[in-house]
Amino acid sequence: MNAPILSATGLVRRFGERVAVDGFQLEVKRGEAVGLLGPNGAGKTTTISMLAGLMKPDAGVVRIDGVSFEGEGDPRKQWVGLVPQELALYGEISAMENLRFFGALQGLTGSKLATRCGEVLEIVGLSSRAGDRVKTFSGGMKRRLNLAAALVHDPELLLLDEPTVGVDPQSRNAIFDNIESLRRAGKTLIYTTHYMEEVERLCDRVVIMDHGRVIADDSLAGLRQRASSAGRLTLELSAAAATDARWLDAVRSLDGILGAELTGSTLVLEAREVHSGAARALDCLAAHGVRVTGLASHQARLEDVFLQLTGRSLRDG
Amino acid sequence: MNRLTQLRALIRLDLRLFLSDRRALIMLFVVPIGIASFMGSLFGGSGTKNGKSGAAGGGGGMDLVLVDEDDSAVSRGVVQSFASDANFHVQVTNSTVAKDWVMTGKRPVAVLLPKGFGADVLPGLFDSKRTPELTVWHDPGRSMERAMVEGILVPKVIQSVVANAVNPELGREQIRKGLARLDARAAAGTNASGDKLLRELMTRADDFLASRPAGSLLQSSGTNSGPASLPLPFKTQSVPLTKSRGGEYNGYAHSFAGMGIQFVLMSLLDMSIGLLRDREAGMFRRLRSAPLTRATWMLGKVGSFTLISLGSLVGCFAFAMAVFGVRIEGSIAGFVGCLICVSLMAACLALAIAAVGGTPAGTRGAGIAVLLLLVMIGGAWVPTFVFPRWLQSVSLMTPTRWGVDGLDAMTWRGLGFDAALAPIGALLGFSVLLAGIAWLRFRWDDE
Ligand SMILES: Nc1ncnc2c1ncn2[C@@H]1O[C@H](COP(=O)(O)OP(=O)(O)OP(=O)(O)O)[C@@H](O)[C@H]1O
Ligand SMILES: [Mg+2]
Repeated sequence: MNAPILSATGLVRRFGERVAVDGFQLEVKRGEAVGLLGPNGAGKTTTISMLAGLMKPDAGVVRIDGVSFEGEGDPRKQWVGLVPQELALYGEISAMENLRFFGALQGLTGSKLATRCGEVLEIVGLSSRAGDRVKTFSGGMKRRLNLAAALVHDPELLLLDEPTVGVDPQSRNAIFDNIESLRRAGKTLIYTTHYMEEVERLCDRVVIMDHGRVIADDSLAGLRQRASSAGRLTLELSAAAATDARWLDAVRSLDGILGAELTGSTLVLEAREVHSGAARALDCLAAHGVRVTGLASHQARLEDVFLQLTGRSLRDG
Repeated sequence: MNRLTQLRALIRLDLRLFLSDRRALIMLFVVPIGIASFMGSLFGGSGTKNGKSGAAGGGGGMDLVLVDEDDSAVSRGVVQSFASDANFHVQVTNSTVAKDWVMTGKRPVAVLLPKGFGADVLPGLFDSKRTPELTVWHDPGRSMERAMVEGILVPKVIQSVVANAVNPELGREQIRKGLARLDARAAAGTNASGDKLLRELMTRADDFLASRPAGSLLQSSGTNSGPASLPLPFKTQSVPLTKSRGGEYNGYAHSFAGMGIQFVLMSLLDMSIGLLRDREAGMFRRLRSAPLTRATWMLGKVGSFTLISLGSLVGCFAFAMAVFGVRIEGSIAGFVGCLICVSLMAACLALAIAAVGGTPAGTRGAGIAVLLLLVMIGGAWVPTFVFPRWLQSVSLMTPTRWGVDGLDAMTWRGLGFDAALAPIGALLGFSVLLAGIAWLRFRWDDE
């Protein structure tokens, strides 16, 4: 009963010389919501493809409810609903026709199909536009339909690949509401995103990947724990210090200082540990004759943990 | 997994997408019908048989202007002979108008039958000074038509002359004139010794001629009447070597087959390119996340493409039948078989081109070039029987040739079902080959 609904072990996937996924490991329990975070090109989509059975791994195994898919036509694929990163919809036909088509591919027929199509349109709030051609939809509406198309066959496991990309805040909220209600309904989610806030809101577990590898796999609480000691220092300097910044390299090379950025007369430091970091930085600045006129520190957010782990920010790749 | 449900959904989707695409509909119904109508009228129109059902504005027959300044029995016979020939669409007018029409290119050829033509044409045989002269005005750019008219003028004039020379009415008129002369001599008391016998002979001859219907002197079967229908001393028979049950070359039947196939291929290529675009847009990721096999998917594509092609060809031929009187003179089963196999072949060809092309941009350019070549060599534009022999052999290697030939055989050539077997077999063979290429080369994943 408590066998993981999804287990992936040692997944490797290469594209020519490039290793897109390199030993990916994941086990997800029924009803869990896992956020899969990573910068551009980290290998998230490639991983999702392998989990959904779209792509054969070069090495490693994926098991859904304990078994691997056998071939493209494996009926167990109905367990999985994939929300692709791209909008995969036919613009020339109506929302309802799109859903009917995707539902039929999943083997639904007759009244079951009709009922489910109506239900998912209701879920994503597009019932009133059911008969309209999809190309007349707004971007946010298309995103919602893109989600709905993965739900028609009522899958147990949902793989969401950046389902809110390029969406306005209002539609994003609507999509979040949908996903939250799916969670409450007991569905298992794997949610890929660049946005830590989304993960904080939707998931109870975070997997961070970079360069095809899992570099953190922890509960939200656990990650917060890691973040607690890390932090940022903001120092206001005298104008004279700002014009001649030869001291900056010295600060950067300090132990426990992860980054230093000077903007005008404001110096922002990322410190592995706020208090010791502050002490070292102030000493160093004093030694270089830099006068500090103000100091503020603040606790790291999860985003900063990401920076700390990968050395790069979530969204500039 | 319910393969049939999936297959039905795939086919229905394509038909639905096709019907919602106005451009595709125009490409498959309006454009081929328009172009085929035009090409059909250029290349021979409908044969004599179907000439009567030509569209308004003279769908059948070549335009010919006649000017009859003679207005004799012979000249009228010539005019009537042309008028009753379905190969011509005849207008009679005066010389000024005729010359103007030809000069401005409105009509290709005009023939002037000058005054005295009827009276001089027979004596002219023996006296070259009296030989009448027919004038043929023609558009310098239309020498084909001129040659055709000049060629056909000869038998038509001879026909009319002969018919009038042996016309019983004319004979009886001669007899009446003779009898009147005898009467006059008797009245004047100057009758010769043989007059009684002569009168007897003439009266008998008159009775004989009176018992014959006009124009029947040389034609005992007598089904036709009128002076112009007298047979020539020789017969011509055009032999389009393939003719068996009654077909004559029908430009419309051919052009609708050719253009139908051409635009079906173009449209299906367009749809295959759409598949490549779908793939680039990530649509296949969603399709493949379902328990759908590549085989089911491809079968769905072949199925929907074949149906769309069938719809278009049936539409084209229905139009050609309704408007241009094209008929399936041969086997109906053969015709249907050819239509289905042509459609199947077109579906497989389009998929194969897209499979080899790989990307939408790459496929479009090369694909259109390949199609045009196949369509041209296959005889969709002009019938292959006008090709030099080497090209005819080359064209046998194109599936389009077999498609056009099969449809031609079942329409205007009027051949039986057995004549459809070779085209059907060849088309099926090409379909298998092309489907194989599509199967091996079409990538449906992102790798
Ligand atoms: N079809 C492909 N052919 C070649 N290389 C590929 C292909 N798909 C992905 N890659 C490469 O694999 C790596 C991982 O790509 P992937 O799309 O999985 O990243 P991602 O984490 O989803 O990025 P993003 O956040 O931008 O969507 C990248 O370096 C990418 O260039
Ligand atoms: Mg991605």
